[in-house]
Amino acid sequence: MKSLCVVLFAAIAPVTVLAHHSGAGFGNETKIIIGTVKQFQFTNPHSWIQVNVTDETGKVVEWSLEWGSPNQLGRQGIRPTTFPEGAKATFKVRPVKSGAPVAAFQAAKFEDGHIVGNWEGDADGQ
Amino acid sequence: MNGTRPGTWVVLSTGLSLALSLSYGQATPVTPFDKLPDWSGIWMMMGGTVFDTATQTGKGGAITPGVREHPPYTDAYEKKYEEHLARRDANRFPDVITNCGVPVGYPRILNLPDAYEFMVRPDEFYIITENGPNTMRVYTDGRSLPNKQDTWGTYTGVSVGHWEGDTLVWETIGLKGDRDNDSILDRTGLILSDAARMSTRMRKINDNTLQAVITVQDSKALTKPWIVTKQFRKQRPGLFMYDYGCAENNRNPVNAATGETLVLGSDGKPVK
Repeated sequence: MKSLCVVLFAAIAPVTVLAHHSGAGFGNETKIIIGTVKQFQFTNPHSWIQVNVTDETGKVVEWSLEWGSPNQLGRQGIRPTTFPEGAKATFKVRPVKSGAPVAAFQAAKFEDGHIVGNWEGDADGQ
Repeated sequence: MNGTRPGTWVVLSTGLSLALSLSYGQATPVTPFDKLPDWSGIWMMMGGTVFDTATQTGKGGAITPGVREHPPYTDAYEKKYEEHLARRDANRFPDVITNCGVPVGYPRILNLPDAYEFMVRPDEFYIITENGPNTMRVYTDGRSLPNKQDTWGTYTGVSVGHWEGDTLVWETIGLKGDRDNDSILDRTGLILSDAARMSTRMRKINDNTLQAVITVQDSKALTKPWIVTKQFRKQRPGLFMYDYGCAENNRNPVNAATGETLVLGSDGKPVK
């Protein structure tokens, strides 16, 4: 059932619109990061996925991945348990232009192969 | 309520209706419930939250004057808007709703993500948005718009409308516009003045799509009427609306000194 829900979400998920603020300077380029979920803040006005990523020097960097409101995501099948603490995944994100470890979330592939979000879609340009 | 005879409620409701009609001096007949269209359910805006997509970086002419077709700004407002775009590109134009304190106003209330409800009643029409949350009222009880001297400029203004068949038509006045620099139409910094007046026609164009066509007139900001169309798609039955605590976990506060929209890390400190 879980995989069915996730596949369904991937199929119907619209481009996430982050309209609350001025855009936090997100760029248009996507980036792949691999990390471990530290926390999923399923809260308004936006959800945040905190991900620990080990960089090339061995240092652990915490990324903040911004997503839609829980209202919008919840109606599409996302739940507070969608990103369990400690889960390893590959994330497709759109980082801020400043180089800070902050990005707009687009999609994630977990180790078991299931996908959350819109892996094949375009980055949100809104 | 137990023990009250049904006839009592008929008399009371008739009396209430009469009182309403007397107090508002109705010139236009109120459309009864059974003649109103069904706009029930949950709706989502279609398309992005930027009115003029040509202003988006990487999508068209950006801030080059003359490239953009809309809105038809006067020179003075074109200059203001270009300043906003430049500040936006430098992350120095915070969206006024970022601090979770003010209504988005009209017409921005028809330009939001998250869910909508459109509540149709004979005497009043409500726009209820999850995002914000925001509420707008359109009075359809036959009253007239107030005189200009009886308005003082608010985010959402004052709206009075009527039904033309299945189309709701309303006029909006009394908007504060850019008077206090806290009311914009989208986060590119699109603005209107306190002289803005809008005429909106809203109807279902098919079973699953509501369309609002807004004609904006603004003697200070525009050289000619600016027509904007927003559409809303009906969502599947059975969905719920939820509350939206803007301040619940707002990790994008504004640095008041610089105007920079910050991003806070999970520790509550700005991420550099």
